[in-house]
Amino acid sequence: MDGERVRFELFIAARYLRAKRRQAVIGIITGISVAGVAAGVMSLIIALAITNGMQRDLQDRLLSSTAHVDLMRIASDGISDWQTLLARLKKLPHVTAAAPGLYGQVLVSRGAKSGGALIKGVIPADERTVSGLLQQVNQGSASALEKQGPIAVPPIVIGKDLAETIGAAVGDTVLVTSPQGGLTPIGIVPKYQRYSVVGIFHSGFYQYDSTYTFMRLADAQRLFSEPDLISVISFKVDDLYKANEIGRQIEAAAGPGFQTTNWMEQNRELFRALKLEQIVTFIVLGLIVCVAALNILIALTMMVMEKTKDIAVLMSFGVRADQVRRIFLFQGLLISVLGTAIGLVLGYGLSVFGGHYRFPLDASVYSIDHLPFAPSITDGLLVSAVSLGVSLLATLYPSTSAARVLPAEALRYE
Amino acid sequence: MSKALLDVRGLSKSYATGRGRLELFRELSFEVAEGEMVAIVGESGAGKSSLLHLLAALDKPDAGEVYLDAIRVDQLSLREQAEFRNRQIGYVWQFHYLLPEFTAEENVAMPLLARGTARPEAISAARRWLSEVELGDRFSHRTGELSGGEQQRVSLARALVTQPRLLFADEPTGDLDNRTGDVVFSLIQRLHKAHGLTSVLVTHNLEFAGRCDRILRLRNGGLRPAN
Ligand SMILES: Nc1ncnc2c1ncn2[C@@H]1O[C@H](COP(=O)(O)OP(=O)(O)OP(=O)(O)O)[C@@H](O)[C@H]1O
Ligand SMILES: [Mg+2]
Repeated sequence: MDGERVRFELFIAARYLRAKRRQAVIGIITGISVAGVAAGVMSLIIALAITNGMQRDLQDRLLSSTAHVDLMRIASDGISDWQTLLARLKKLPHVTAAAPGLYGQVLVSRGAKSGGALIKGVIPADERTVSGLLQQVNQGSASALEKQGPIAVPPIVIGKDLAETIGAAVGDTVLVTSPQGGLTPIGIVPKYQRYSVVGIFHSGFYQYDSTYTFMRLADAQRLFSEPDLISVISFKVDDLYKANEIGRQIEAAAGPGFQTTNWMEQNRELFRALKLEQIVTFIVLGLIVCVAALNILIALTMMVMEKTKDIAVLMSFGVRADQVRRIFLFQGLLISVLGTAIGLVLGYGLSVFGGHYRFPLDASVYSIDHLPFAPSITDGLLVSAVSLGVSLLATLYPSTSAARVLPAEALRYE
Repeated sequence: MSKALLDVRGLSKSYATGRGRLELFRELSFEVAEGEMVAIVGESGAGKSSLLHLLAALDKPDAGEVYLDAIRVDQLSLREQAEFRNRQIGYVWQFHYLLPEFTAEENVAMPLLARGTARPEAISAARRWLSEVELGDRFSHRTGELSGGEQQRVSLARALVTQPRLLFADEPTGDLDNRTGDVVFSLIQRLHKAHGLTSVLVTHNLEFAGRCDRILRLRNGGLRPAN
């Protein structure tokens, strides 16, 4: 099907599309088909740009709040002599930072209100190199965590949602109850300790803002009665998407009894949900393209009916059935290419415009203050391929029935 | 008389209809010599158009053979039929059957474009033939802007632009008034002579038939010379 040979078919197809026709309705349906394809392609491009933007934004913020790889004991018996281990693991290739942490489940309460929390005992200077949560303190300050030595009412940094749940503000004193208290003659009794809220952070992730609670490593060790043990070493690595392999390398270097998790494993459900959302968006908006293709089918079928005599005339002077088929196939493709091109221009145009204009969003609902647009070339290619493919399917029936016209029959009577 | 260009032997054709088979003709045999202009006459419904369709590879006979020179016309595949219609014959219908979306010269150029001739070449051939049918000033008119006689002349140019070996015309003047019909028929006659064509015409007009080299009458399923 070289260019030379299909020129005739394209010539006829293009003229048929442009010509005024006896039945105005065919022209109208043709116009609707173009508009429909354009609308479908445009919506898909914009919707995918937004879901991409959301996903990218979420991932960026997630990664600024969380470590890439966490190392812990399989037996949860705590890491002793951790300073040596940390210093050694820090030197591994691909590891860019490491920080110790002692984690534990507690109840944080103020008056009658309380909430479950995950204590993270940290060394702030180290913690900042692997997680951004301490930089996201926007009420009060985390600097009190840097002080050395015992403090009567030690400092604590809590998340915005936990603060709201228990009604705590900066400067308030809260009571932390640890179930892993001391062993007494009447069994294990919970241990209580009062802390002073010095800062409240807001990451935008409910999971973090409602449970993560920071205190000095030494205070956490005292609370959990674990002198000089830690539970986790958190790492930042140089290639996010190799977190799996680097994690395994860290495990191997740490020796037996250790295991790692990484940001992808910890947030697998979240990313799976986002992917699913993207697929659903694609299918729903793809239906617009299918409806447009249905219009193409109707327009072409009516055109074939209107042009039966003309098709027979073409055949009578030697136009072959496969050429007739291509005439109508090209008409469908021309409609689709035109619609797809318009849709791509509008979709990308609006996405770029939307990215510049920064449509405001209610940050408390969406955890992001503007609509993010991240249009991608691959999405454009995928959408174009789907649009052209579906339209091509729509031309099959009309073009085949055009190719089946019998010239002697069609031209017998006027 | 020169050798036969068209050779028909034992041609039979019938149609299946609601009330059994309708036999149009049985075992027709005749020849048309190169350069001859033959008129076929007969009553309405006699099967003249059907016969022309068989000769022009637009339909297949029940039995019999049709030869155009060495080509066995009745046994061509669909693809070969198309090729045959494009290369070997020209066909003029009772109605002009021009395509309304195209100009006169595009309509005439169409059979050449269909076979892959480059557009400039096809258009200049079309213009030559439009001049031959005395429409040298109507190249870029839409067919709707032409009179009935002019339209039929354009369709004659379209039939001849491929320089076919055989011209078929099925009541080419049937849709025209007497005067215009005469103009068109005279034109066919003139081009037939000027270009050494071989022509088979169906007509109801006995005066036109009388101007042909030979008249064949289709009646009761047989084809006989009329006097
Ligand atoms: N496909 C078909 N099926 C059934 N009958 C047909 C078919 N085609 C033609 N006929 C019948 O065959 C007969 C001959 O038709 P044809 O058109 O060949 O006649 P004709 O001699 O050209 O007539 P006219 O002078 O009116 O044009 C007619 O009775 C017609 O109804
Ligand atoms: Mg007839």
